[in-house]
Formats: sequence, structure tokens, C-alpha cells
Amino acid sequence: MKKIRVSLRVNGRIFTLETDPNRRLIDVLREDLNFTGVKEGCGIGECGACTVLMNGKPVNSCLVLIGQAEGSEVVTIEGLKGKNGELHPLQEAFIEAGAVQCGYCIPGMILSAEALLQNNPHPTEDLIKEAISGNLCRCTGYRQIIDAVKIASKKIARKE
Amino acid sequence: MQEFDFVKAKSLDHACTMLAGKRGRAKVIAGGTDLMIGLRNHRLSEEVDTIMDISGVGELAYIREEGELIRIGAGTTHAELALSSILWEAAPVLSMAAKSIGSPQIRNRGTIGGNIITSAPCADTVPALLVLDAALLLRRGESVRQVQIADFFEGPYRVKAAEDELLLEISFRRLRDGAKSLFDKLTRRNALAKARMNIAVIALQDKNKVVKDLRISLGSTTPIPCRFTDAERLFLGKVPRREDFLKAGQIISSEMVEKSGYRWSTDYKKPVVEALTAAALKRVLKAE
Amino acid sequence: MSYKVITRPLKRIDAREKVTGEAKFGADLNFSGQLYAKTVYSRYPHARVLSINTEKAEALHGVEAVITAADVPGENELFGRFPVFAEKEVKYTGDGVAMVAATSKSIAEKAASLVEVEYEELPAVLTIEEALAHGAALVHTDAPGNFIENTHHLMRAGDVERGFEEADIILEKTYRTQFVEHGYIEPEVVIALPEPYRRGVEIHGSIQNPYSIRENVARALNLRISEVRVIPGNLGGSFGGKDESVMLMAARTAITALKTGRPVKMVLTREESILESAKRHSYKAKYKIGARKGGTIVALENTIYTQGGAYNNKARFANWRASVHAAGPYRIPNVKTDLYGVYTNTIYGGAFRGFSAPQVVFCNESLMDELAAELGISPKEIRLKNCLKPGDELVTGQVLRPGKIPAPLKQMIEEVCSRSDFDRKREEFSAGNSGDEPVKRGIGLACTFRGTGLGGEGIDTAGATVTIEKDGSVNIVSNLNEMGQGMRTAHAQIVAETLGISYGRITFSPTDTSVVPDGGPTVASRGTLAGGNAMLIAAQKLKERLLMEAGKILNCSWEGLVIEDEIIQYRGKEKLSITFDELIPRCIMERGLTLSAQGWYNPGPEELDPETGRGNAYPSYIYGCAVAEIRVNTLTGKLDVDRITAAYELGRVINPQIVKGQLMGGLIQGMGYGIMEDTETKEGYLITRNFDELMLPTSLDIPEIDIILYETDQNIGPYGAKGIGEIGVELSAPAIANALFHATGRRVRELPMNLERVLLGRALKR
Repeated sequence: MKKIRVSLRVNGRIFTLETDPNRRLIDVLREDLNFTGVKEGCGIGECGACTVLMNGKPVNSCLVLIGQAEGSEVVTIEGLKGKNGELHPLQEAFIEAGAVQCGYCIPGMILSAEALLQNNPHPTEDLIKEAISGNLCRCTGYRQIIDAVKIASKKIARKE
Repeated sequence: MQEFDFVKAKSLDHACTMLAGKRGRAKVIAGGTDLMIGLRNHRLSEEVDTIMDISGVGELAYIREEGELIRIGAGTTHAELALSSILWEAAPVLSMAAKSIGSPQIRNRGTIGGNIITSAPCADTVPALLVLDAALLLRRGESVRQVQIADFFEGPYRVKAAEDELLLEISFRRLRDGAKSLFDKLTRRNALAKARMNIAVIALQDKNKVVKDLRISLGSTTPIPCRFTDAERLFLGKVPRREDFLKAGQIISSEMVEKSGYRWSTDYKKPVVEALTAAALKRVLKAE
Repeated sequence: MSYKVITRPLKRIDAREKVTGEAKFGADLNFSGQLYAKTVYSRYPHARVLSINTEKAEALHGVEAVITAADVPGENELFGRFPVFAEKEVKYTGDGVAMVAATSKSIAEKAASLVEVEYEELPAVLTIEEALAHGAALVHTDAPGNFIENTHHLMRAGDVERGFEEADIILEKTYRTQFVEHGYIEPEVVIALPEPYRRGVEIHGSIQNPYSIRENVARALNLRISEVRVIPGNLGGSFGGKDESVMLMAARTAITALKTGRPVKMVLTREESILESAKRHSYKAKYKIGARKGGTIVALENTIYTQGGAYNNKARFANWRASVHAAGPYRIPNVKTDLYGVYTNTIYGGAFRGFSAPQVVFCNESLMDELAAELGISPKEIRLKNCLKPGDELVTGQVLRPGKIPAPLKQMIEEVCSRSDFDRKREEFSAGNSGDEPVKRGIGLACTFRGTGLGGEGIDTAGATVTIEKDGSVNIVSNLNEMGQGMRTAHAQIVAETLGISYGRITFSPTDTSVVPDGGPTVASRGTLAGGNAMLIAAQKLKERLLMEAGKILNCSWEGLVIEDEIIQYRGKEKLSITFDELIPRCIMERGLTLSAQGWYNPGPEELDPETGRGNAYPSYIYGCAVAEIRVNTLTGKLDVDRITAAYELGRVINPQIVKGQLMGGLIQGMGYGIMEDTETKEGYLITRNFDELMLPTSLDIPEIDIILYETDQNIGPYGAKGIGEIGVELSAPAIANALFHATGRRVRELPMNLERVLLGRALKR
């Protein structure tokens, strides 16, 4: 197994590393780059806890070989906070709506919602449900998470 | 996780040259939504020592309209299929199938080519492509061949393609004017769910309700995915009768039992195949 | 009474870290020099272990240890007979026979596959029926009949034979429920490290009950309890589940850590998590009920077998809880209940939110509707007629005395039915269902009640330490654990309310067994009830101390002082006051006082009669009532839940947003249990291995939810609060089952009500 050289941009910073090719994007993000906000739940793309934005789209980072991420732009939950540590409207809204219980699904959930709001700042409830349908949450029953995305949508509209 | 070398194809030519050079010792990864699970579960054949990534090959990702023909690059993702206005207009049955797959994350990575090559019995795009009579374009080294999708499958998870052959394109004629199509899927939950069974139908009737064209395919039903031509013939050239909807379902369910044998799930699947078929036909066909 | 901090939907105390990804969970922690551990699991449901050869694994470069039962320094058998490592025999496929520890995850994975174990297969018992059959193979040779030790619990009220003689109608029905996986999104993690500063071991990880795990690890390692320190990290959900398997992981990694002198980290894959962790017990429940023509229930007899699996330490408690609730929230004069736990060579039962209630309530409430249908009265009427009302006697003999134990169920049923338009929709759906349309609609009702806290299960103590620092920040630490339920936020609100200060002053420290004394497990919805009471007691001690000091400073009697909005003031005399910020430094720096107090809550044991099971089972009860509306495709069996309307009585609401989150999350978990989730096995091997098979509900599966909260006074918890962690999960399954019957006329008596059961009335076995 020959090591490969990979360059990718994560949360705006370029990282270049040499690594075994049988590692996944999630492994490199968590273990090498210390973005531990990326969570592993199932390893087969069925829970969405490891969701990151790859070139703007939510993907399961457990289903991406690190070599496949070469040259890509990745955003993890750590990349959502503002420069001065201010929270993203989705992060504020998740707190306000009581959308957080154990918190393990939350980074992935917020990133799926972020991808939705980027494309559609005023989504309907059905679109919100669809956008987070690849993110399992075992605590909340989703209701307060859906409310949070609605609140965030309004917050973003107010800022613009 | 299994061990392997990794190469990234820079272009289509590069990919085909490398595949040819590896003589079956390389496995292609596109979206990875199936292969990554295989690697995790140590299911990669020992013959294979290299994974070749084609996810960055832009030449494989397109949806084009050329007159009556729709051509789709094998590397097109399900999300791209589901968003394509060309497709919604020319072949909504495929748009619906793509939209129903897994989750946004899966649709953003998984490709139509991968869905066909993996050929899981529950693959959602396959019944849609069968009723579209799609043709597949494959390349091995420098030689290119075309094959009808109906002739491409060998069994569950087995296709008639060489290890070093690459699927390039899927093409089909757009639906004829006035044709109706439908994709429906039965699942245990409303997202992140494999199809327990799925069905794709295309139907065309003239103004007197005479059926000019009818194509039916159901997934997770037979070992080799197929159209159910006996059931289709029941309607061709005739004005549909309501009682034929269920009859068509029964023809299909008998064919299922004949081809798959009576399995643990047949007690459930048999009546449901009949019901799904009848319900789908009822929705796309105007009866007497 | 007006409150300043409690009863308000304040932001969770731990939310910010969780939305930014900064909150660390077990898998996010790493220690220098750590090894990665992997368990080698049994290959058979039941087999003799002939030999274990670890040579090849040990020879692999990077492998630092391969351990087996021979390496366990203390006792190999832990609470509930769980072996740290199976030695002579494996009793189910999740038994660990060895563990490898290596310098990388991939080496550990490879090494685990190199451990060679020779087995001789033995006959296995896989179901309740097989286990109870005459001449069945024994899971444990010293547990005759495969009955689990101490799991026969009973309830005897009145004379059930005479009761049935008085009945005009007698129904006998059998219900079954499945093993259910908790499905927390975070798989289990444990990291054990040799204590850096003293003899002993320190354990971090996704640990629900740190004190019992500490005790068991000490036993396995032959250490004293005080030499084991357990610090649970943030838990990514638990719901009762991160307990038995985590205990084994902790023991295995701790042994290896002390053996190698290095930190040992073990993160389970999802497949390992489902294989090795506890499940909600599977039930087979036989019911017999008798009623008069008018609908008055006169007798109930039930015999319930709970499938416990290969090892078990929860059925002895869960079966007792079930014995108190097995007659439902109804006034039934003659009751005979028996529960038995049964060993099988399968995955095992443990604690899972509800702790017997999801099973018992499904059976009881299905039965109530069956009885109503038989009597030709409505589901609402039979419940209104028989439900517990003020002054009624519970099956335990406890009387629902107004002002002692509230009994608002009748009012709740009426309100939920009127809010959901139950009567009209029943008629409207029935009329609509008579046509050919394959999709039918149904509406169903279910009720429950729940004893608060541990009750007769155990001593319901809890402890808390509240410390005011010189800058006026207030730190709280509980010996009960946060798993996502919001307990720490409730505790912070209780402390702020009691001290008359702002919520923003409160910080928390994680539970740490070497900081706060053992107060038992975080179970039984007792985090706010018992844990909150301990907080209240600690805060009251501090408040008294502060007022006494303020009295000295202000030269007045401290009894006349109050704290409100951070000002300590003599009642009615504005001038006689001092602010919290002024007072604290004076107490600490000038007077040398400690502003740290420990609260200890101990309600004392409950008295029960072993012959009848009667007595003060629980100090109080909470109630719930729900209506579910469904659509079902009668050609495919696909069932969707459109709407749930539910009411809950829970004493005092400390934080309405968190309470609703608990209840809604519970309702959806209950829905998954009712219609989707199963852990299927084939010949003793799990088929449900990962989330692609487990079928947890997604965002596209959830109904509209409407929740009504009832508050009552005179409850035993802090500010009158009771526990709400579990009751949410109880009503979905029976309400949906009853709605399904309404829609289709078909009664499904087995869970889950998946495609096959709804269509065919039975499950299909792979």
C-alpha cells in the first residue's frame, strides 16, 4: 500500500498531507486535522453524523476515500463560526429552539441545514425535513430541529 | 478497512488506459456509496490491488439532449439527475427514481453508473432505465461497445462487463408526446431506505385510450432485473379494462415466483407486487 | 407563587459547545501513547471454548497485549453474571473471548482476526418458548428452568378467581414485543489509563452509570473502589443502554492499561455496539381480563415472560416495576400478576427508556381497546369509566389522596380527546374507510401512569455539591449524569432559583466518582427528582449561610432576609440590603467561610409486602394520555403516523422547552418501537447489524405533535417537579396499534407493526 499525497482546503485553510490511501475523509479530518466536530455513528452513510460540506454539498465523510477529496473544499462544523467567534445563525437558532439534546448528531445536522439555506433561504417545512432526512437524531424527534432551521432562515433574512 | 493502492484518473483516457494496464486488478470507485461499505466489510476481491477514482473525471458527468436522445454520463450523481429540468421533462420516471434514493448525502455522491454497475436488486434507477429501454456505452482500452440495459445484468450484484471495462454513458429516447410515466417505491421508512420493492412504468395511449406503448419493470422482484412483457402485452393495442390491472399484477407475481422461487419473503411480496402493479397501472392508464 | 428562573425555557447550559462542535465526546479524547483495543467475539450462540491461541496475534508488529480470562486479576464474573471474558463457554454471539491492544486501529483489527479460538458447539435456546420447554438446554447450569435469578415479581390484590366469576365477559389475549436497540447515535467508547499520580486506574468514556461501573471494574481488577476513578464524558445518547457493555469494555481496557502501563482506548463500531449492548427486553405476555356488561373491569390476571438473554442484571428491577404497572392506570379490584425473567442464548435485555413500561403499556392499552370492542363501547368510554380517580386505591393498596398523589387522568383523557376531535374523527374515518380506497385512516387512544423515581427498586438517593466562588460564579456537580436529557440545565435552574441569582452565574463540572459520593445510577427519570432535590438541599444550605452572614453585616435578624434578583434585603426595608456580588467576597475573603455545600437527598426505603407485592411502591405517580392518527395502505402494509396529541401530568415544569423535547423525542422513539424497529436474529445470529437495517425514524417519518402539560402541586420533587425522561416513550405504540385496529379492523398483537405484520398479521422469518 503506497502512501498518497493529498491537498485539500478545510474551513478555508489548505492542508497537504501524506497518508495511507485506505483512510477515509472522516479519519483524516478527525485524527490528523483535529476537526473532532465530525462524528462517526455508523460508518456506512446511514446516520449523517459525519456530514461535512464538500464543494458546498453535504456528504457523508465516512463514504469518501481521502484520495477522492484531493483538491476539494471541505467545511466542517468548526468552519461555521465567524472570525470573532460569533455563532452562525443556525447555531444560535439551534440553541434558541432547544434543538440540542445529546448533541452528537448536531454538527452534521447543522451542516445539512446550512447546505439547504445556502440554496434556499426560505425553505418550506417539507424541504427542511427532506434536507435533514439523511441525519438521524435519536433524542429530539426532529421537531425542535425543524423549528430551529425555520428560526435560522428568519435570522438570515433579517441580516440581509 | 482493506488495503490497496489508490490512483486518481485525470481524464477518461487516463482512466481507460490505467484500467487496461491493470488487467482486472483495479476496481473503480465513483461516488463510493456502495464500494466504501464493501471495503469496510472486507468484501473487495483479493485479485484487486488498486482502487481507481473516477469521481473527478468531469467528462463523465453530464446530461445532454440531442434531438430525441438523452445522454447521461455515468458519473452523474443522483442529485444531479433529480435536479435536471431536461430529465424532468424528458423522462420523469428517472428523475423520480433518482430523487427517491437514500438521503441528500447519498444522492450527492452516488452516481447513476455506480447504481447500474453495483446492480443491487433494489437499485432504484434500474427499473426506470429498463422502461426507458436505455442503452449503455462501455469502453475497454480503446474499444467501445453499446449494450441494451436489459441484456446487461447477470444476477444480483453481477453484470456482464469485464473488470477493466468502464461504463461511460447511459442513453435513451425521450418519452413520446402524451406518454405518462411513474416511479413508485415501497420502503420501511420514508428516507434512508432501500426499496423493499420498486416499480417503473411508461404508458402511451391514443385519444381513443388504445394503448400504444406500455413498459413495466419492478425491482427486488426477479434475480435479473427485467421488464414484464407478458403483462405489458395484456394491454397493447387495446383499451385497458380495470380488471386487467390486477391481472397484470398476477402475471408479474407468477413470473416473480417462477424466476426467484418461493422464498421467505414471498408470502408478503406476492400480494404486494400485485397491488403495486395494479395501483401504478391505474395511475398511468385511462381505463374504459 | 411566581418563579424567576424555573418554569422558563432557558437555553441549555451545554448547548453552545454542542452546536459549535467543541463539546468532546469519548471518541474525541486521545492520550499520548494510547493503545487501540478490539474485542474478539464469540462465533457461536452457545459453545464450549476448547482453546484460545493468541500467538499469531501477539506476533503481529504493533500488538502490545492480547488478553483473555486468564489475565483478569480479580473476579471474571461481574454484576448480572456478565463475564469480563468468556472462559469455558460462550453463551451468545456477543461474548468476548479475548481482547487485543495495538498501536493503531488497523493493527488491532488485524490482530483480532488472528486470535484462534476452537469451539465445540452446544445446543442453544433462542426463544422464551425454547428456554421454558421441558428438558431445554440450560443457559446457566445453576439456573434451573432458565429462570433468571430474582426476577419473579408478583402482585396480588383482591381475589382474582372471584373477580372472574363476577364478570360478564372474559377476554384472553397474548401479546409480544421485540428486542429493541437503543440506537444512540454515538457508539460506545471507553478509555482507561493508569492513574498518573497514584495506584489505580482512571476511566473516561460514554458511561451512563459511573458508580456501578467503578464498583465492577474494581472487582475485576482486584482494586479497592476508591482506586478506580470514573469520569463519564459527554454522552451521545444512552437511554439506559450505555451500561452493561460499557462495564465490560471498562474492565477489559482497565486490565490492559494496568498491564501495559499505557492508556487503552476502545471505540466500538456500530456493528459491535448493536451486537454487545443491551436491548429493551422482549416480552411474551398472557392476559386475561374480566368485565361487567356496562364496562366495569372486575378482574385482571397476567403472566409475563421477559426475555433476558445470556446474562442479565436488569430484569430483577424492571420486572418489579412492571408488576406495579401491569394492571394499568385503572381501578381493578382483583389482580393477579406474575413476571418471570428468562435466560436465552441471545442478545440480552437491559434498561431502555421506560424500563418495562413500553412493553406493559402496549399490552394493557391494546387489551383495553379489545375489551371495549368486545363490549361494544368506545375506547374513550371504557377508559373514562375505569381510570384511576381521586380517592381510588391502586393495585398496590396506595390511595390516591387529593393533595398526596394527584389523579388527573379523567380530565386528561377528556381534554386530549376533545383537542384531537377523537369522537368525530372516529366516525369520520370509519365512514371514509368503507370504500375501496386502499389507504385507510384510523385514530387510537392510550393512557399510562408511571411511578416516579426508583420506588421499591432501590434506595433513591442522590448527591450534589454547589460551590460559590469568590467571583460570584456558582459551580454545580451532581452524582447523576447528563446524557442529553437536560438534567444539568434543570439543576442549574433549581440552584439559581433557590439562591435568588441569575441563571448565567451557574457553571457545571462533569460527574466524577472521586469528587461526589455514590448516589446510585442515573435511571428511572430521577435526574430532576432526586438529583434536583439534592441540588435544592445544597443551595438551601448555602442560602442560609449567606443570609446569616448578611444578617451580621446588616445588623438584623437573618430570618427576615430574602434573596431576590441577586439582592439580599430585609423584608419591607429597602435600605437594609446588600448585593450578592458584595456579599460573596466578604464571606470568603473576610470571614473565611466555605461557600461550598453538599446536598444529599434520601427519601428512605419504600415498604413492600413480599407475599402480595403491595405497599408504598412509589412515592408518587405521573400520568399520560395520547391519541394517534394514522394512515395505512391495506395493500402494502405501509403505515404512516399523521398526528399525535398527548397530555402529561408531571408536577412542576422546570424548563418547558426541555420537557417538550423529552416528550417529543420519547414519542418518536416510541413510534419507531411501535412500527419500525426490530433487532432480528437468525438461529442466534444478529441480522440487524447496522443502521441500514435498524430502521430508526427519520425526519420524514414524524407526525405532527401537540403536547399539553399538566402541572400539579404537592409533589415530592424540587419545586414540585417529578420525572419526565421516560413517560414520553410509552404511548405511541399502543395508540398506533389501536388506530390501526380502527382503520383496518385487524388487531396486531406483536411489535413492531411493520409492513409484513400489518399486511399479513404475522412476521416473516429470514
